[in-house]
Amino acid sequence: MNSYEHTLITPGNMSETQNQKIFDKYKNIITKNSGKIIKTEEWGIRNLAHKIKRNKKGFYFHIKLEGDGKTIKELERAENIDESLIRFLTVKVKKHDLETNFFEKEDVYKKFGKK
Amino acid sequence: MKRSKRSNTKRKDSGKHSKLNLFQKPGLKFFKSCPLSGKEAPVVDYKNIKLLKKYTYESGGMLPSRVTSVSQKKQRELAKAVKRARLIALI
Repeated sequence: MNSYEHTLITPGNMSETQNQKIFDKYKNIITKNSGKIIKTEEWGIRNLAHKIKRNKKGFYFHIKLEGDGKTIKELERAENIDESLIRFLTVKVKKHDLETNFFEKEDVYKKFGKK
Repeated sequence: MKRSKRSNTKRKDSGKHSKLNLFQKPGLKFFKSCPLSGKEAPVVDYKNIKLLKKYTYESGGMLPSRVTSVSQKKQRELAKAVKRARLIALI
């Protein structure tokens, strides 16, 4: 079993329920393919540093998981097909750092007034 | 008493300089230790944007290690972290 960190970005103009659906979908894929979710983080809506697929804003999800190569392969295969994702990134880590969160969660939907 | 004080100041002056001094003797080497290695150094990570921005230009390129005096090993780690952060548009 290896430890991985996975980050997903969805377009910023999506609603909360839509975002949650996408997030749950990929969580299911991980658990089905012998993976184990250790921690999830929602970084919320952030301004992208550069435009990606005509998007200026994106909603960030972050998952810390344990699994093997097959889990990641299956996860990334599903994400490559998905058009409702802007981008994703998997990073292999030696040990999970569960204490520090660099992005404190804010009430994003209140701030931008979208529901 | 005076002697001991003098000897103390002399010791500090000799060797490598840790700060740029206006009245620095010529021939002494300017030396700054790596800010990222050591016991209480911050962890280099692609999520730590605050740290990465210190070691990059505003345009996004890396600052050379001869400016920031980061060690070779840590500079390699930094480069990898910056590339990851660029991919998910954090920098």
